[in-house]
Amino acid sequence: MLNLLRWLVFVVAVLAMNFPVIVTVITSFKSARELSFNPGFWIGEPTLENYTRVLGETDRFNIYGYLFNSTVASLIGTGLAIALAFPAAYAIARSEAGKRTLLPLIINLRAVPLIIFAIPLYMMYQWLGLLDTQLGLGLILTIVNTPLALVILVNAISDVPSELDEAAKMDGASSWQVMLMIIRPVVRPALVTTFIFGFITAWNEFLFGLMLTTSRAVPMTVGASFFFAASGGGVQWGTASAVMALGALPPALLGLLMYRQISASLTAGAVKG
Amino acid sequence: MAIVNRAEGRAYLTPLVGFLLFFLGFPAAVNLIYSISTVSFETLRSPSLSGFGNYAAVLADREFWGAVSFSMRFGVLTALAECLIGLFLAVFLTPLLAKRSYLMAPLMLPLMVAPAMIGLMYRLVLHEFAGPVPYYLFEWFGDSPAFLDVDNAFRTLLVVEILQWTPFAFLLFYMAYVSIPLEVREAASLDGASALKALWWIELPLMLPTLVIAFFIRFIDGFRVFDNVYALTGSGAGGSTTSLSIYIYQAFFKGGAIGKAVAASVVLFLASLVVLYGLNWITGRGRR
Repeated sequence: MLNLLRWLVFVVAVLAMNFPVIVTVITSFKSARELSFNPGFWIGEPTLENYTRVLGETDRFNIYGYLFNSTVASLIGTGLAIALAFPAAYAIARSEAGKRTLLPLIINLRAVPLIIFAIPLYMMYQWLGLLDTQLGLGLILTIVNTPLALVILVNAISDVPSELDEAAKMDGASSWQVMLMIIRPVVRPALVTTFIFGFITAWNEFLFGLMLTTSRAVPMTVGASFFFAASGGGVQWGTASAVMALGALPPALLGLLMYRQISASLTAGAVKG
Repeated sequence: MAIVNRAEGRAYLTPLVGFLLFFLGFPAAVNLIYSISTVSFETLRSPSLSGFGNYAAVLADREFWGAVSFSMRFGVLTALAECLIGLFLAVFLTPLLAKRSYLMAPLMLPLMVAPAMIGLMYRLVLHEFAGPVPYYLFEWFGDSPAFLDVDNAFRTLLVVEILQWTPFAFLLFYMAYVSIPLEVREAASLDGASALKALWWIELPLMLPTLVIAFFIRFIDGFRVFDNVYALTGSGAGGSTTSLSIYIYQAFFKGGAIGKAVAASVVLFLASLVVLYGLNWITGRGRR
């Protein structure tokens, strides 16, 4: 009996929390005609026409551009964050450097509202010619990703027994070699998790995409909002839904595939310190 | 003995520190200078120092305090609700989830969707002609509230935020709950404690540090909210949904009031330092 109640609570919670996604996916399979009289949960005649329009009419919808921009910027933002955080995490885990001040400072960065840096960054980007470029967006996403990448990697490297390092050093390896050839393969799962989680975070970022891009480098989150603002004759709900579903799909898929690892990294900074 | 010596350690830290100094340190300095300058889009490179007029203007601005009030209420209410619901779900559903970890996936899905995208999706969900919620409300009750008008927008946004981020609080509590050692539970039940008593007197106190941390994380995120609010209402409904982040964004982009926007940024930064200091103090104590 109690178990039945648990299932009920579970189902209600899942439906309520995923409600907007469910509605969007349903709507994306309705024809424009059906949408005009049926906003309900059932689909009379499921159709792919919204997807074929969004993906096919490239002169009207710049969906490939948005997807491409999001992918490139997210890859830069995640790859660079790991490239910067990995050596730093190694130093923090294996030496006294950075442990006392740098690590807490960067962890706290996670909680600082990044909008406070946004205005000077906008001006800086103007001077550097980085406005509306994928590189510029990627560099900011690096900052967004750095705190969590550092926490996850410091934890992972600290868990590796230091006897491994010592043995390699005895054999004459430099600490640089130890880091790349001994530690890196051992913490590979943590690196993969960091990458996936960073990619999701970067993909979902909105504020900097909104501020720092206008046309050439617009990411998916911002591009999707154009479908609501642009057309004067009201929103085309079918195509808008298809766009939202496509934009939410990559992070959702990654998340579903990796939910075990991600749940650990989501809580990394919070529970472990 | 340290495996990496100090000099090497510093060398490994340098790229990261340099990057952050350039992309955050420089903007922070610019913020401070601009906040005490008279500056417009024309005089970006030659701001003239003018004292604390920008701060005075911000602190005298009713819209600024409206935004502060919005952010405070939003942060506290969403964090409270998320923690309470998350805690209930964690405790109540653990027997179900412990054996079937795959059930975690749909519970975590909302965390994977961009908050901005969620905001856009709710435009559809709540739309008076195309959205299912007003549709069914009209069908069943003959009437549907205007979810995004001045009276209701705040409550609507609370629900939107809570539904997306309760999974985060749930996840933290679930992890804390299942990591309570089995012996503790066994000892409690041997001593004749009922499940409810054990929860109140033993398990909740053990989870207290996590509860505090989760509340603060969710409060900070709620306080600085931007994405979903901007995507859903665009701060509309008569300015009743302007968070502090949106206030800064609009002062800069729409109003061109750079000095004011920057001064508000500095105020927000100082406020977040206070909150962070409090958080570190509490968690530091919790761990000792």
